[in-house]
Amino acid sequence: MALVIDGLRKRFGGVQALDGISLNVPPGSVFGFLGANGAGKTTTMRIVLGLMRADEGTVTWDGRLAHDWPRQTWGYMPEERGLYAKMPVLEQLVHFASLYGIPRSTARAGAAEWLERFRIGDKADARLETLSKGNQQKVQYIATILHGPDVLLMDEPFVGLDPVNVAMLKAAFLEMRDRGKTLIFSTHQLDQAEELCDSVAIIDRGHLVTSGTTREVRRSTGHQVVRVATAAEDRGWLAAMPDVTIVRDGADFTEVRVAAGSSPQRVLEAAIANGPVLRFEVADPSLEQVFVERVGALADDERTLAAAGARA
Amino acid sequence: MSNQSNIVNIARREVSVRVRTRSYKLGTALLAIGVIAMEMLPVIITKLEGSSSAKVAVVAADASVAARAQATITALLNTGSSGSSPTASAQTGSAPDFVVSVAPDLATARAEAVKGDVSGVLGIERAADGSLAFTYYSNDAASGRTSSMLRQGANAIAIADRLDRLAIPAAQQAALFLPATYAVAWPDPTRTDPVRDGAAAVGQDLLGFAMTILIFMIIVMYGNWVAMSVAEEKSSRVMEVVLNAATPFQLLAGKVFGVGMAALIQYGVVIVAGVGALLAMPTIQAKVLGASAAAMSLPEGLTPGLLLLFGVYGILGFLLYATLYAAAGSLVSRQEDVQSAVMPMTLISMAGYLVAVYSTTGLLDARSSVMAVIVQIPFLSPFMMLSRVAGGIAQPWDVGLSLVLLVAAIGGAIWVAARIYAVGVLLYGQRPGYRAVWRLLREGM
Repeated sequence: MALVIDGLRKRFGGVQALDGISLNVPPGSVFGFLGANGAGKTTTMRIVLGLMRADEGTVTWDGRLAHDWPRQTWGYMPEERGLYAKMPVLEQLVHFASLYGIPRSTARAGAAEWLERFRIGDKADARLETLSKGNQQKVQYIATILHGPDVLLMDEPFVGLDPVNVAMLKAAFLEMRDRGKTLIFSTHQLDQAEELCDSVAIIDRGHLVTSGTTREVRRSTGHQVVRVATAAEDRGWLAAMPDVTIVRDGADFTEVRVAAGSSPQRVLEAAIANGPVLRFEVADPSLEQVFVERVGALADDERTLAAAGARA
Repeated sequence: MSNQSNIVNIARREVSVRVRTRSYKLGTALLAIGVIAMEMLPVIITKLEGSSSAKVAVVAADASVAARAQATITALLNTGSSGSSPTASAQTGSAPDFVVSVAPDLATARAEAVKGDVSGVLGIERAADGSLAFTYYSNDAASGRTSSMLRQGANAIAIADRLDRLAIPAAQQAALFLPATYAVAWPDPTRTDPVRDGAAAVGQDLLGFAMTILIFMIIVMYGNWVAMSVAEEKSSRVMEVVLNAATPFQLLAGKVFGVGMAALIQYGVVIVAGVGALLAMPTIQAKVLGASAAAMSLPEGLTPGLLLLFGVYGILGFLLYATLYAAAGSLVSRQEDVQSAVMPMTLISMAGYLVAVYSTTGLLDARSSVMAVIVQIPFLSPFMMLSRVAGGIAQPWDVGLSLVLLVAAIGGAIWVAARIYAVGVLLYGQRPGYRAVWRLLREGM
C-alpha cells in the first residue's frame, strides 16, 4: 500500500512540464515535494488527483489506479486557496463535505469541532471574506480533511502563515499522520520540510533530482558537514585543508563541507593540532544545502541570499 | 459520489447563495413592480385622462350654429376618440373626453382660455361666401389631440351646414352620413377562416412581442448569471477544490440547474405578483375609476396552451444557451473577461430577437418560406416561435419539429460544453481564441 507515481510526462504547448517523474510515497507518512516555481509540483499533484491527464505514465494507490478510487480517498488543498468568499464558513465546509457524500449533520459536527480546535469556533456563521488570511487558511485546511481522505495533497500549505498558525498546522499534520493518513505537500521552505517530512523528493524543471527518506536525501550528496570551533582566532588552517570548503564562518563556530570520500576525522585532527577544540560536530547537510548543490538554480531572491551567505 | 446527488448539491448551493444576494432580491422586487406597473398602466392612463376632460367653449354669432356645434362635437368626439382603445370599456361612465359649452362672446371666452378655465375656444364665423370658418384659440399644440379631434368635428359641422344651405332635408342628411359597406378578405382564395379584426391582431402582435422580449430576457440575463458564476469560481480557485470532489460535468449541470432554479423562483415571484395584481384589478379599478368600471380581461389570444409553450420554450432555450454560457465562462480567468467570452451567444440571441421583432412588426414577411426554415433553427426558435403561434402562423407540426430540434441541440450543446468546460476550468492566465477552443474540443479530456 503506497502511492506509486510511475513515469509521468506532461507537455503544455512547447514546454515539457513533466519529463518522466517516478516516485514512491510510503503510506502513513509525511512526504515533502521540493522544487522551485515551475518545477512541476502542482502539475504532478493535479495529475495524481485526476484534475489533469498525463501524456504518459500512471499513478496507483495500493496497487489500483488512482483514478479508480472513490473521490473521498483524496483531499486537496490548492496553492491559491479556493473558498467561496461570500459564503458563511460552516455552511461552505458542509457543502464541500457533502460533495464527497458526507451527510450534512456529520459534516456539521466535524467542521464545528475543527473550527473550535483552530480557535475560530466563533467565526462559524461569519462570511469567509471577513476572516483574516491565516484564519481563512485554517478553514481551507478543514475543507481538505473534513471528508476523511486517506491521502492529502497540499500545495504550499505554509505560505502566508504566521509562526503561531504554522505550529498549529504542523501539529494537525502530525496528528493526521498518526491516524494513518498519507500526507504529501509541496514547499520551497526547506526547513519546514526537514522538520516534518519522513521522506522527500526534489524535482527540477520536470525531472526528478532525488528522492527517498529525508535522511537518505540529506546524505545523497556524499558530503558531510562539520561545525568546528577552536580557541584560536585564525582559521587559515581550515581554509588550507584539501577537500574542505568553508560554508559559513560564524562567530561561534565555522561550518565546513567535507567532500565525498574524505573523512571528517581529518578536520578534528587538524583542529586539535591548531589549538584547544571548543566544539566539534559532524552532521548531514541540510535539505537546503542538498537542494542548492543538486539543483543549483534557485529563485532569484533565494540565489542572492545564498550568494551573500557564501561571501560572508 | 453519484452523479445526481452532486448535481443536486451544487445546484442547491447555487440557489441558496444566489437568492440571498442583495442584487437578486432587488432584481426580483424591481421586476415584480415593473409587471404590476404595466398592468396598472391602463387604469392610470384612464384615471389621468378621465380627470382632465377637455373643456371647449364654442362661440358663434348664430345661436343655431353654436347649438349644432355643441351637439356634434359632444356626440362625435366623445365616442369616436376611444372606439378602438382597449380602455373603452373602462371609460364607459367615467368623465367624457370633451365637455362643450356655448360662450356668449369671443373676447370673454378667450380670456377664460388664457386663465386656463377652458382648454380652448372654438370660434365660428360665417365668411362672405356663406361657408363656416373655424378658429381654435388655445395654448395646446396646433397638431395636438384635442385640436385634431376638433378639426374632425369642424368638418362634420361644415358639411351639415352646407347641406342645410342646399336645402337637403334632415332625413336625407342622415342617409348621406350612413357608412359605406366595406370588407376585408384573405388574399388567398382558399382561406375561409375569419379575418383577424384590428384590435385582436394588434393584441396578438403585442402578445408575441412581449413573449419574445421575455424569452430574450430569460436567456441573456440568466445565461450571464451562469457565465459569471462559473468565472467567479474559476477566478477564486474554488473550482480546483470542487473538481477534486465532483466531475466537470456535475459542476456544469449543477450550475445550469441551480441558476435555472433561482431564475424560476424569481419568475415565480413575479408571476404571483402579476396574477395577484390582475385579480385585484376590479377592486382597484372600482376604487380609482368609480363603481361603474368594468372588469379588465386577459389580453386576447393568451390561451393556456400558449402560456405552456412559453414555459417550454423558455426552459429549453435557457438550457441550450446556459450550457454554452457556462462553457464560455470556463474559458476566462477573470470576471472582467466574461462579457467578451459570451459575445457569440449574445450575438446569436440578439439576431433571433431582432428577426422575431422584425417579422412581428411586418418589416420581414413572417409568412415567407425562408422564415419558415429560419424559425426551425434551435438557437432562434425560442425567440421566434411564440409570436408565430400567437399570430396564428405556426402549424402544430412546426412547433413539434422545432421542439425536437431544440432538444437535440441541447444534447449537442451539453456534449460540446462539457468538453470545453472540463479543460477550460483549469486553464489559467490565457484567453483562448477560437482555434484554441477547437483544439480543446478535439482533445477533450
